[in-house]
Amino acid sequence: MSRPDANAWQIHVFGVRHLSPTGAWHLRAFLDRVRPKVVLIEGLDDALDLVPHIVRKDTKPPIAILAYTDSQPVRTLVYPLARYSPEYQALAWADEHRTRVEFIDLPSDVFLGLQDLETERFERERKRLEADPEKPASDSAPPQNLWRPERSESIYQRIATRCGEPDYDTYWERRFEHNLEADSYRLAAFALGKELRDEEDPPLWRAENLVRESYMRRRIAEVIASGVKPQEIVAVVGAFHASVLTSHLPAMTDDELKSLRRRSSKLTLMPYSYFKLSTQSGYGAGNHAPSYFELLWQTLQTQGIGELPGLYLSQVARHLREKGTHRSTSEVIEGVRLARTLAALHEGTAPTLGDLRDAAVTLIGQGEPLIVRDALADVDIGDAIGELPEGVSQTSIQDDFEREIDRLKLEKYRTQAKHELTLDLRENRRVSREEAAFLDLHRSSFFHRLRMLGIPFAKALAVRQDSATFGEKWELQWTPEGEIALVEAVLLGETVELATSFRFKTSLEECTSIGKAGDLVTAACQCGLMKSMDLARQRLQELAAGASEFEVIAHAAFQLSQTARYGDVRRFDPSPLLPLMEELFVSGSLALHAAANCDNDAAKDMVIAIEELNRVSLEHHDRVEEPLWLERLQALADADDRNPLLSGFACATLLERNLIDNEALVREVSRRLSPGVPADLGAGWFEGLAKRNRYSLLARQALWEALAGYIDSLDDEQFKRALVFLRRAFGIFSPREKHQICENLAHFWGMDEEKAYDEIAKTLTDDEEKTLKDLGEFDFGDL
Amino acid sequence: MAKKKDETAAPATNGTQMLRAPAEVLYAAELDEIIKHDKHERPPGWRMSARAVLTYICGGKAGAMEITPKYIGHQRLVEIAIATLVTDRALLLIGEPGTAKSWLSEHLAAAINGDSTKVVQGTAGTTEEHIRYSWNYAMLIAKGPSQEALVKSPIFRAMESGTIARFEEITRTAAEIQDALISILSEKRLSVPELATEAPANKGFSIIATANTRDRGVNDMSAALKRRFNMIVLPSPADLETEVSIVRKRVKELAVNLQLKASVPSAEAVEQVVTIFRELRTGQTLDGKNKLKVPSGVLSTAEAISVLANGMALAGNFGNGEVAAHDLAAGMQGAVVKDEEKDKVVWHEYLSNVLKKRGADWRALFTACSEHNT
Repeated sequence: MSRPDANAWQIHVFGVRHLSPTGAWHLRAFLDRVRPKVVLIEGLDDALDLVPHIVRKDTKPPIAILAYTDSQPVRTLVYPLARYSPEYQALAWADEHRTRVEFIDLPSDVFLGLQDLETERFERERKRLEADPEKPASDSAPPQNLWRPERSESIYQRIATRCGEPDYDTYWERRFEHNLEADSYRLAAFALGKELRDEEDPPLWRAENLVRESYMRRRIAEVIASGVKPQEIVAVVGAFHASVLTSHLPAMTDDELKSLRRRSSKLTLMPYSYFKLSTQSGYGAGNHAPSYFELLWQTLQTQGIGELPGLYLSQVARHLREKGTHRSTSEVIEGVRLARTLAALHEGTAPTLGDLRDAAVTLIGQGEPLIVRDALADVDIGDAIGELPEGVSQTSIQDDFEREIDRLKLEKYRTQAKHELTLDLRENRRVSREEAAFLDLHRSSFFHRLRMLGIPFAKALAVRQDSATFGEKWELQWTPEGEIALVEAVLLGETVELATSFRFKTSLEECTSIGKAGDLVTAACQCGLMKSMDLARQRLQELAAGASEFEVIAHAAFQLSQTARYGDVRRFDPSPLLPLMEELFVSGSLALHAAANCDNDAAKDMVIAIEELNRVSLEHHDRVEEPLWLERLQALADADDRNPLLSGFACATLLERNLIDNEALVREVSRRLSPGVPADLGAGWFEGLAKRNRYSLLARQALWEALAGYIDSLDDEQFKRALVFLRRAFGIFSPREKHQICENLAHFWGMDEEKAYDEIAKTLTDDEEKTLKDLGEFDFGDL
Repeated sequence: MAKKKDETAAPATNGTQMLRAPAEVLYAAELDEIIKHDKHERPPGWRMSARAVLTYICGGKAGAMEITPKYIGHQRLVEIAIATLVTDRALLLIGEPGTAKSWLSEHLAAAINGDSTKVVQGTAGTTEEHIRYSWNYAMLIAKGPSQEALVKSPIFRAMESGTIARFEEITRTAAEIQDALISILSEKRLSVPELATEAPANKGFSIIATANTRDRGVNDMSAALKRRFNMIVLPSPADLETEVSIVRKRVKELAVNLQLKASVPSAEAVEQVVTIFRELRTGQTLDGKNKLKVPSGVLSTAEAISVLANGMALAGNFGNGEVAAHDLAAGMQGAVVKDEEKDKVVWHEYLSNVLKKRGADWRALFTACSEHNT
């Protein structure tokens, strides 16, 4: 391979860790000393146009450079920049000293093309694994880090362990962030980066680095060719790349550059947040305590990092005081001492974040991590959100929205006027293309996603009951508020789908009630986001495990079984939901007996819950533990110390399943309605019994015989009491059913059936009305 | 979690007559070797450097000698404890029963001073005299108050010699009595008004106290006293392997001591019992996928040990000498179900939602436990 420039060159290279405050501090000092003519930065080559916006006075970090493909499948790249990023400070320095800046990393279209390849490779690997799970993968990866898998025991972890540190971040902080010796950081980072390259058996994705580095060398040679002396150039790159930016290694040739896959891309700046920064993992993508590092950056500028422990711990104490827990200054002082001693145990010069956190738990939390958890999260991460001047950002989510509108043929609805749109989620069999056949389903998912993101475009309207499983009705209207909400949503993710997933994640973390978690499971299913649905299911399981309220559990189980039923229409596989439903079913069954000890008001909700759980047991009898449920129902039906209405209802439920024979039923009726039992209990039981399956009740002659006998046995006072409850019990029967009851009873009382019914069907006289009313208000407690 | 050493087998050079020798006697050889190879700076009043103390407790190497770990799992907590004592702060170890609080405190004192015997054992009957000083009354009456008539408490002696005093079960002592420590810890001196003098503490003095979180009826410490301690909560064993190894070791020892006529439970049985205990204790399955309801009992490692020992006794006396699932089930039932109604539901739920789905290896235990829980 030949180089475009045959002359050997050696430039100044400053290897950093992205998002390293001390790196930024040393870098500025280095730039001040070297006074370069050109600063080269590891950044997307085509992002140079964005630099003026990045260094503008009214731009407030954290911000991010965002590259995204303008076609499906969407790939995105995010380069976050905090105030303490070495790259950001290099840009700021260059701006202050009117120095030329160049970005020397691959342009975004090549980067996204590489990402495409990597994702495809990973997909292939995954498919191969699925097909043949026995064969171990050459490079298997955790699914959350789809295109950049890191091995579980990464080389970074191995370095940390060897140096006696719990993790790489602590290792780095102790040896680099606390290292203020001039040039020591640069040389140490250079050496570390060089050593890292010698890793045995590196993961395959690292090959990407080689491509990037040869491009960087090409760019450096180009800059030198433009007439700049090599010693007037400073390159700011990740420490990993620092040792290979020399002329001894080949630069990328034109042919090589041409052979790379490209995806046409767009670039923009977007506001970023410390929270978002802290939720990303990986070497360069984020760091876990942005607010802490900002504090470190500030102390580097002012008093020096010796002040950091005191500042950090007093912030924690102050946070606790604001929340009403008093902590004294002396505890902060002792905390600083403890943190320093911990650092000294590891031969450190200053406490690391880990030392400070442990000191905070020991002193300020008095041993309990829970007490300081919120305070630590606040001081470590903070809620800073970046700002960009107006008009600078054209975000990927807006692009994605446009594309979806186009794909789903919704353009004509995007007006200020309201439109109604009825969707039929079932497959449209008249068209052949799959995309068209499920157009309405995709539209529905899209609308549900927008709803989750709070983007006011589509509003759900109620639909008729009979088409509830497959029909939806939406009211569409596009407003400027929608546009604003859409732009804000980019903070959650780069596309509508990613943003919705992120919203699910945060909602689930905040979610504390089973009901809400159940709703989120359903919502995730409606949005067509399987991963979110799985997260929601996990959350629901966590919450359900702690709960013992029967109604809540029964409702959650019912909701899951319903969602699983929608599976067909929404084309997803409901199987992950079923194990949880089984578990909830067991919990619910076990909770039934205790919960049935309630008053009549609560019993109304219980009836609904029993009904729901029973439906689950009927619909999924092959999966759930039905015998347990029936056994528990039987126990409730037999119990005398639970709410009689519920006992009756349990009995009815069993009756409906034909699990109680006539003889047992009659025995139970006469036991419940025997003279010794207070009338309200007996009638309450009967009311519960009559709440279900009236036809099967009506058909059981033995039952009516027992009832007739019971009424005969009552004296006047008791009859008045029983009347109220029996009236209520029969009030819910239809006239036809009442007719049949009359027939039944008349038969046993030896009366004319027709006459008896006429008697009952007659409207009540005023007198009778009054008597009943009095009875209704009768306080039986007085008797 | 501490490895409860089979103490008679430890490298004892001394004190063989004692039923239980203090740590500094049991591990004298290790301590001497560590001191010999200790090159780091020693805090004032300490026999060895902070790092050497860490080696003694968490294990490692001193010269050619292999140092046995005394406390396994949470090295970071030991670091915090040592750092606390270096900063002359008092240390309070809190934890559930059986989390090796006293064990750790004894070994810390043994390593730092070579003397773990300056102990105040806190009870409801502990008085201020036990913390400060009392008098030799015969001498007091004969000669009046004098230095000779003074009977010094372990804490007083520790202050004089610049060493560490231990206060066991501090929360069992009445709160008013505990508060006698406040001025000792903040001013580092003890006044003796009868002799019109003050005894200042020498460098190296500190107190290690232990307290139990689970027992009811303990006297909570006053806020003023709490502020003078660095508090460390000692957790249960960090992972399954650690706990399994502790349990196996103890069960084997018990089998010998109690002459149980059954073979030691299989590795699989131990692991299953410990798994169940851990899952119910932490309220989630080991893989973290399922949350669980937690029963009212502590479910400590010690109870897991007793379930297995109990199973051995059953198998030895009434069975064929092999610990079978139904020998364990009775013990499990007793350990898990403490409060009849609620625990029973929790246990049933756990059995049918978790154990039942674990497959054939667990089938026997599941069936036996289900039979017991009806």
